[in-house]
Amino acid sequence: MRATPGTALSIRALLLVGTSVTLLAVLGAAAWLSYSGSEEEAQELFDARLATSARVLEVLVARQVAKATVAAPIVIALPGPLEATGHDAPGPLGHYYETKIAFQVRDGNGRVVVRSASAPDSPFAPLDAGFTTRPIGGQDWRVFTLHGGDAWVQVAERDDVRGELAEKLAFAAAAPLLAGIPLLLVLLSLVIRQGLTPLSALARQVAARRPGSVAPFTLARNPAEIAPLVEALNGLLARVRDALERERRFTADAAHELRTPLAALKVHGQNAARASTSAEREASLQRMLQGLERTIHLAEQMLAYSRAAAPGDASRLERVAMAPLLREALEGIQPRVQERRCTVEIAVDSAAAESAVNGDRQKLLSLVTNLIDNAVRYSPEAGRVAVALRREGDTAVLSVSDDGPGIPSELRERVFESYYRIPGTAGAGGGLGLAIVREIAEAHGARVAIEDGPGGRGTRLIVWFPLA
Amino acid sequence: MRILLVEDDVLLGAGIRDALDRSRRTVEWVTDGRQAQAALRGSEFDLVLLDLGLPGMDGIEVLRSLRAGGGRTPVLVLSARDTPPQRVLGLDAGADDYLVKPFDVDELLARVRALERRGRGAAVNVIEHGPLRLDPASHSVTCEGRPVTLQRREYMLLETLLQSAGQVLSRAQLEETLYGWDGGTESNSLDVHIHHLRRKLYPEVIRTVRGVGFVIDPDPPANAD
Repeated sequence: MRATPGTALSIRALLLVGTSVTLLAVLGAAAWLSYSGSEEEAQELFDARLATSARVLEVLVARQVAKATVAAPIVIALPGPLEATGHDAPGPLGHYYETKIAFQVRDGNGRVVVRSASAPDSPFAPLDAGFTTRPIGGQDWRVFTLHGGDAWVQVAERDDVRGELAEKLAFAAAAPLLAGIPLLLVLLSLVIRQGLTPLSALARQVAARRPGSVAPFTLARNPAEIAPLVEALNGLLARVRDALERERRFTADAAHELRTPLAALKVHGQNAARASTSAEREASLQRMLQGLERTIHLAEQMLAYSRAAAPGDASRLERVAMAPLLREALEGIQPRVQERRCTVEIAVDSAAAESAVNGDRQKLLSLVTNLIDNAVRYSPEAGRVAVALRREGDTAVLSVSDDGPGIPSELRERVFESYYRIPGTAGAGGGLGLAIVREIAEAHGARVAIEDGPGGRGTRLIVWFPLA
Repeated sequence: MRILLVEDDVLLGAGIRDALDRSRRTVEWVTDGRQAQAALRGSEFDLVLLDLGLPGMDGIEVLRSLRAGGGRTPVLVLSARDTPPQRVLGLDAGADDYLVKPFDVDELLARVRALERRGRGAAVNVIEHGPLRLDPASHSVTCEGRPVTLQRREYMLLETLLQSAGQVLSRAQLEETLYGWDGGTESNSLDVHIHHLRRKLYPEVIRTVRGVGFVIDPDPPANAD
């Protein structure tokens, strides 16, 4: 069991979140740049205006009152209603914001002589010419101090008024874009949904598939992002189709190949059941047992072939020493060797004694067993089978020779086909032995060939294995 | 009744041969297509049981060449080829019947009887001839309703002669039907079987045609009393 990977964030959510974050960041940066740019400009503009106001006051007021003796500072009041409005709209009397602007005119001794109603009695700031920012009554004020003649003029403006302008400019720049974000997200969502429809169409097709259906998938719209997936899926389906076809053919062939042995079993079984003498029954039962042996062998060979043709399991690969495998294979078929009174000789070249092949031990054993068994089956009674292992460079060469009837050269390719039997040899085997040999050899990168036996008689089967 | 069995599988062929042999039929068995063709050219058979997947020459070819040469012997195909197109091919090539392996022996024998019956133009198996009644399905013979126990060869001889009633069959023909190619009979054994039949049934049942052979006359005696 493998752990199922966690469900990843959906593409749509990813795109929407990504787009939103990017948009907000860009807008934020734009607003900030606009704010800081506007604020700077506003400071300069306001400072210039503050200075101009101070200069006007100095000319119009300071010079008149500098020498005057006043008991209490003259307060220039704002019209009452103006102070009460408390909002931003300009009116016939002036503007509410005038409450946020103040001035003081002080004499040479620093005493406040004239001030606006919004200014305190006490001095704004020390008498140093120029701009300064000071906290007055809990608010930051921007103060400009001008020294003309004997008088000092100080003009002040609440700092937050200036900030407000910059904020409003920045907001005005960002607001339409900000309002556009939800609309953009909705549109984006629709576009993404539209863009992903081929994917959901593909998902529906895959979900609706029956297990045996291997026709390729086709999409009405096949965008470049999804085309590789469809192509890969169809490639997989093609391989599945080949495997299924192979299975189907194997099953059909197996059903066909079993018909004759089963027919023989049934005939002898029925003959035994209907026999009128015990000698007849005995003869029929004997033949039925022979038929059973043959059917069992055929079923085993079918399984072996099915396994040989199945894709290999990499975890079963190991170094397999060849010489012991030959002896093990011969051990396994000893009953048939004795039954046919065959002589099987194994000769291992000293250079090949230690040779090993990288592979699946069970399959290699099956290959060797089938090679020797095939030779024993198709050689005459009391025949001789020679098994030889030698080394040629980096290959191990296994040859199995018999003194049987031989295989005509035009049939030497066909005998490797499954269920192929040389005409006239029915009953000797299932026609799968050499097919198993070839399947396993190919899976191990080995080559198989058929030659004449020693002295031009019989058959020699040769397998070249790449050494481990 | 002489049957040619063409089957390359040794074990199955032996089983079919046993079954036919035990139902008192003479079986000649060949294992390849060319031998089958040669056998069909060389001798007369009442029926051919033909496998299709044969070495040498495919069964379909054997069948076509038999029909092309005017051979009318009934042919029952026994094959592992089971698809409808394959059966159609077999029947169209001239087979009279088609049985797919594995088959039931009783069904095989019933079809064999049906083909034999059709071969002599009868609709029922049982052959009645005067007081004689022969049932090929059970190999039973009665004479005037009384069961008669016949030896294997006696039965085969009677069946052969009854199937060709009115037709004189030569000594050689009868011997081939009774013993097949293997022969190996003493020269007088046919006479011994005929003698036994005359004794167990009634003397006039088989007439000897000197120098030619034997015949069961088509007009049987009414009732031999």
